[in-house]
Amino acid sequence: MRTNVKSYRNQKRNRHKIRRDKILKALFFTAALVSASAIAIIVIFITQKGITPFLNGDVSLVRFMFGTQWRQDQGVYGVGYIVINTLLTSFGALLLAFPISVLSALFIAKIAPKPIASFMTTIIELLASIPSVVYGVFAAGVITKLVMNMAAGLGLSTAGGSSQLAVILLLAIMITPTITSLSIAAIQAVDRDLELGSLALGATPTQTRFKVVLTSAKSGIFAGAILGIGRAFGEATAVAMVAGNKMFGPTFHPFDITRTLTSTMLSGLKETTGLDYDIRFSVGIVLMVVILLSNLLLNAIRKKIGKVSG
Amino acid sequence: METIFKVENLNLYYGAKQALKSLNLDIRKHHVTALIGPSGCGKSTFLRCLNRMNDLIEGCRIEGKVMMDNENIFDRQVNVVELRTKVGMVFQKPNPFPMSIFDNIAYGPRCQGIKNKKLLSEIVERSLKQAALWDEVHDRLHESAMALSGGQQQRLCIARTIAMEPEVILMDEPTSALDPIATAKIEELIEELKQEYTIVIVTHSMQQASRVSDDTAFFLLGEIVEFNTTQDIFQNPADKRTEDYITGRFG
Repeated sequence: MRTNVKSYRNQKRNRHKIRRDKILKALFFTAALVSASAIAIIVIFITQKGITPFLNGDVSLVRFMFGTQWRQDQGVYGVGYIVINTLLTSFGALLLAFPISVLSALFIAKIAPKPIASFMTTIIELLASIPSVVYGVFAAGVITKLVMNMAAGLGLSTAGGSSQLAVILLLAIMITPTITSLSIAAIQAVDRDLELGSLALGATPTQTRFKVVLTSAKSGIFAGAILGIGRAFGEATAVAMVAGNKMFGPTFHPFDITRTLTSTMLSGLKETTGLDYDIRFSVGIVLMVVILLSNLLLNAIRKKIGKVSG
Repeated sequence: METIFKVENLNLYYGAKQALKSLNLDIRKHHVTALIGPSGCGKSTFLRCLNRMNDLIEGCRIEGKVMMDNENIFDRQVNVVELRTKVGMVFQKPNPFPMSIFDNIAYGPRCQGIKNKKLLSEIVERSLKQAALWDEVHDRLHESAMALSGGQQQRLCIARTIAMEPEVILMDEPTSALDPIATAKIEELIEELKQEYTIVIVTHSMQQASRVSDDTAFFLLGEIVEFNTTQDIFQNPADKRTEDYITGRFG
């Protein structure tokens, strides 16, 4: 027998459906509002706390912004050199991790036989999900030793291996999985027709991979780099374990100890009160601004290099 | 009449399945050869044999010979990269690279190691003129090729192929994604191009085959049912199945 669709189209039921639509819409809106307001509350709280040291006149804003010393024992708080250190370690890590990540992504997505590719993808995903404190223990136990030996080989001494180089190596290891997995996704999304078109023009597979596949995937690969450097900026626990927390700076020598914004916020947080506690929120504001500006800059570059592919 | 490809007893297998069955045909130089037949008959597979694009398909096995310049293109010592510079290909869907118009055309020559800017500019201009695209794009060579219309993109892909100065251009249903006006332009272009190049074109359109080609091969289930001049195929088919197909009784 034929089902009569017409008999199902009754008005009452349709009115119900419209009301259900409205309720669901309100639900989605509430969810969006909760997450948005959580961010707003955090920003307001940190800003409020962070500006009190300057409003109370405990610390001069100019000396804070451009200072080259951080001596909590003397009440001297200068964050300027720490910003430079943070930029150096984060971009240093990106410089190291980026080529390694892109080349391994190319290998996994295009060259490796299927079983090896899926095995390596699993490893990369696993690496991305290791908690940062584990990386920190690894860095404190292994990377510092490595750096110490390197320095000794060059006739230099280090603070037990804690150094700018150790931070850069650690961050590079930590952000490689992020950049790699985003690059794999970007490379796999490249239209196979483009590759065939390149090969049909007498390009070798290697020329095709570098000139067509990577150029077509560059926007996605760059998104991976942006996410990676975001992680490098924000990483606190592991970095604090090998940075050494230098009291003045900036640090340009790779074997010298350093201090980043995150390690400054973290070290001794539990044992302190008053100004020394509040000033960490000020550092937090600086960190957020640094990340925001870097993201804006990198996104602008991404748009520029991606323009022709439009 | 000079022959460019001499196909001798060509068999092709995808795993255990035979897709092409003992094909024999001669493709004439500076002529347009059309390959027609219903979907899945093997015409595109055969086309991809001629520049060895089937090498990229796993489990694909080829027996027999395709002779070009007294050499079997499947021979071990044949350099497949070099073969593809001699036998270019235009695909069904326009596939310009996400680069500027200039870089799209210069891509192939650059891969061959040409770096001289003046020479590259000359190649780009000549190729675009030959592909009847120069007038439309000469003032925006450095803009993205992705902004062109579908028909322009396909002519860009033809220009890109011409830039390599190939002997043969393979076309795999080059107008199936285009509107009638863009299609007419490509067909006009094919007419022009056969002065200098040999063209092998796969098409689903009977009218297109009869309009643009000199020779036509009718494929059915991996075999060539009939291969003759286009005029004979369409006006005086020898095989009943050819007649049925071109008159639209099946397919």
